[in-house]
Amino acid sequence: MALRIEKTFQVDQPIGKVWSFLSDPTKVANCVPGAQITEKIDDKTYKGSISVKVGPSVTDYKGEVHILRLDAQNYEIEIQGKGQDVRGRGSASMTMTGKLATLDGRATQVTSTSEVNVVGILAQMGSRVITEVSNIMFEKFSENFQALLQQSSDQPVAVAIDAKPAAPIEPGSIAWQAFRQMFARWLQVLKNLFSGRSV
Amino acid sequence: MFKTTPEVGGMGHSIKRKEDLRFLQGKGNYVDDVHLPDMVYGHLVRSPYAHARLKSINTDKAKQLPGVLAVITGEDLAKANLAWMPTLFFDKQMVLATGKVLFQSQEVAFVIAEDRYTAADAAELVEVEYEELPVLVDPHKATDPSSPILREDREEKSNHIFHWEVGDKAATDKAFQNAAVRADVHAVFQRCHPAPLETCGCVADFNRATGRLTIYLTSQAPHAHRTLFALVGGIPENNIRVISPDIGGGFGNKVPIYPGYVCAVVGSLTLGRPVKWIETRSENLQSTGFARDYHMTAELAADKDGKIQALRVKTLADHGAFNAAAQPTKFPAGLFSICTGAYDYPSAFCEVDGVYTNKAPGGIAYRCSFRVTEAAYLIERAVDVLAMELKTDPVELRRKNFIRPEKFPYKSALGWSYDSGNYEGAMNLALEKIGYQQLRKEQEEKRKKGELMGIGVSSFVEIVGAGPAHTFDIAGIKMFDSAEIRVHPTGKAMCRMGTKSQGQGHETTYAQIVAQELGIPAADVTVEEGDTDTAPYGLGTYASRSTPVSGAATAVAARKIRDKAKKIAAHLLECSEEDLDWEPGKFFVKGAPSKSKSIQDIAFAAYTNMPEGMEAGLEAVDYYDPPNLTFPFGTYICVVDIDKGTGEVKVRRFVAVDDCGNVINPMIVDGQIHGGLTEGLAIAFMQEIAYDESGNVQGGSFMDYLLPTAVETPHWETDKTCTPSPHHPFGAKGVGESPNVGSPAAFVNAVVDALSHLGVRHIDMPITPWKVWNILKQKGVIS
Repeated sequence: MALRIEKTFQVDQPIGKVWSFLSDPTKVANCVPGAQITEKIDDKTYKGSISVKVGPSVTDYKGEVHILRLDAQNYEIEIQGKGQDVRGRGSASMTMTGKLATLDGRATQVTSTSEVNVVGILAQMGSRVITEVSNIMFEKFSENFQALLQQSSDQPVAVAIDAKPAAPIEPGSIAWQAFRQMFARWLQVLKNLFSGRSV
Repeated sequence: MFKTTPEVGGMGHSIKRKEDLRFLQGKGNYVDDVHLPDMVYGHLVRSPYAHARLKSINTDKAKQLPGVLAVITGEDLAKANLAWMPTLFFDKQMVLATGKVLFQSQEVAFVIAEDRYTAADAAELVEVEYEELPVLVDPHKATDPSSPILREDREEKSNHIFHWEVGDKAATDKAFQNAAVRADVHAVFQRCHPAPLETCGCVADFNRATGRLTIYLTSQAPHAHRTLFALVGGIPENNIRVISPDIGGGFGNKVPIYPGYVCAVVGSLTLGRPVKWIETRSENLQSTGFARDYHMTAELAADKDGKIQALRVKTLADHGAFNAAAQPTKFPAGLFSICTGAYDYPSAFCEVDGVYTNKAPGGIAYRCSFRVTEAAYLIERAVDVLAMELKTDPVELRRKNFIRPEKFPYKSALGWSYDSGNYEGAMNLALEKIGYQQLRKEQEEKRKKGELMGIGVSSFVEIVGAGPAHTFDIAGIKMFDSAEIRVHPTGKAMCRMGTKSQGQGHETTYAQIVAQELGIPAADVTVEEGDTDTAPYGLGTYASRSTPVSGAATAVAARKIRDKAKKIAAHLLECSEEDLDWEPGKFFVKGAPSKSKSIQDIAFAAYTNMPEGMEAGLEAVDYYDPPNLTFPFGTYICVVDIDKGTGEVKVRRFVAVDDCGNVINPMIVDGQIHGGLTEGLAIAFMQEIAYDESGNVQGGSFMDYLLPTAVETPHWETDKTCTPSPHHPFGAKGVGESPNVGSPAAFVNAVVDALSHLGVRHIDMPITPWKVWNILKQKGVIS
């Protein structure tokens, strides 16, 4: 199942600092819920893992992250990740392009475009659920990323990383949140519908 | 036909279904209700990949889990030469994968544990290492040189399974060259699934002391399955007993033998304990027999007046990873050549190519006689497209081309001999019931106002009752079916059948046939099916064959009993047989009706006071080999309104006029029609087992594979005409499948009709609101 996910968020940090974090896969990985870098192979290749639990289904992907392109001039990074579930329940691959833009000198806008391909048990949940799961993961990622940037101003980075260890995404909660978000959207549609009719 | 009293309840009486008493009280006995002492449970490990090489399977962790008794892999089965099994259509299929997997959810290992939860947990602990391979999903790319070859086990290194053609190609091509008008339609009958409420499952119980293997099985064909287990497993057939308990819907899904059954049997043979295996809902949707997946093109040639001259059909059949088509015809595309439909024209040519893809294997005949649904859908769509081409009313075009009633038995251009029919009669009744002319006027007015309304007609012909030995066999076994009737001394009777009801109401309808033939009240006749130790050999229930074949056997067996009863009556009344007349329930002396003996009196005498030299008892068996198939038909008309804002199609009215010959129980026929129409609605608007480009199943749960509920289901209006089958003992034809066969075209024709003024000629199923809404946008109806 191929998904294209585009996300944008802002951080109140200068572009140079944000770039120093975004261009370091170990730091980025530690912001992804359930993910960690386990080994550095060379400057551009890392081994890592990510655990995703959706409802009753846990998938533990192990694989490699490879930096395809690092353009410090334009603040652009392209990363490819590929992993297989350790128990053979499927695989996932992703190519993500991250781009930074400065906003009035102080804040920075982070734009990411990801092409994700999921095969296996997780993919059977259907794109509706997987998209919501991705959304939640990305929200958590941006929260963690901002927290990390914030904390790194006054604390050693390692502490910030420890603040969110590579625990799998909370059991069940992802599915619940995903459904809640879907439900909230339907509710909104219904509300619009009825308010439209009553006018 | 003599009409029995309601108390006797012979043919034509809407007596209540006997089996419903236990079903409505929750007292049915399904496979999962079977609990045996010492029983253990199996769970399958399945492939997450559509195409991957198996690099290793590590079962250590699973085996260490307390309560786990065994983990069986393909390599284990290979040692017993059981890693592969034959399919019902000259292919073979992996039981548990060896070498590689070919579809998502394919069976990879079988875990057996003391309880179901432990088995499922242990399945999670089986570690399988895969190497992903390129995936083939699109059947149109199956024969591309760039596509991966899926079946390395076959000698022929190609994804092409078969090419089959029928008809006169030269005459057909010539008719097209000379035709004043041509019309064509490319229609995909999407992959769908019967999704019976009860999934598949079994309990395999091998008794080491007796050497007997008892298999409680969700089987539509228990005897055929017994023979196949004997042939494949090498177990003496007398030591195998297959019991099909109550079945919660089959629809063709329970015709094939699935890997889970074989694994449970192997498990029980290995452990000497009963092994239960029950599919989950998702396993059922993802791995067991799907239906359809036919990618069809039909062309019609006609003269300028709309008289059809020829039909040309080209079809690509996606069979998935193995050709597990559960069909006993001698033709790779089953009875698809019924695609000439209800129309009279001299030439037709039909070709079908089957291919492998990385999808679940199949396909089964979902409430259909082996590709009849695809055929009926195609011709009924094509006729509508021709009507558009000719700018004529689709009803008038049908009328002009119907096979006339006096032309039966009618030999079709593709070789079938239709038994009887009055197609115009059924259509006229449907038109009258729905008020066709008025609806057309309404449509015209609505169009002026920009409202979207459509009327769809489908005048389908079925071909059912498999079947005559010239067309059918299963592993060489001819497709007769059987009935054994025993009349007890007190005049009550027991019927044992070679078929197996899955909800069709056999316990009632067979009893009604006996009531009709012998006059024994249907309430006094017990019908038993599904136990191969007690029932006479039969080929099972599918293809609407129970009434045409086993129903016929019941009537013939009853008539054999009547012949004997006549001798006994003559003995009791002290007259000669020639002096006796019969009406259901009694023999009486001609001209002296008061001098009579009831069937109950005769039954008692059969055990107490039979004529000298006659052996005791009153029973008979018949194995009925039908001389021909039967050809039920009908006309369905559907009226839809389309919501322009949402693209939602609302079925406003649906009239179904069916002709299945003489009817046994009108209420059961109505029930069958209601059920089948509801399934047809789901296929037309809601259901598809879709795959993404990586071969992930996208319709693998009821979240994505939708079932119609009372909310979605419209009110069905049913009626019937009656054109008996001339070759059937009581003129019946079979009806269970007609609504599923005939209705998809009616729904689609209605939606296309609603949009035809916008230039829409065809929409593939399922016609979802999203699809319609996009068409409306594309056509500029909405912005």
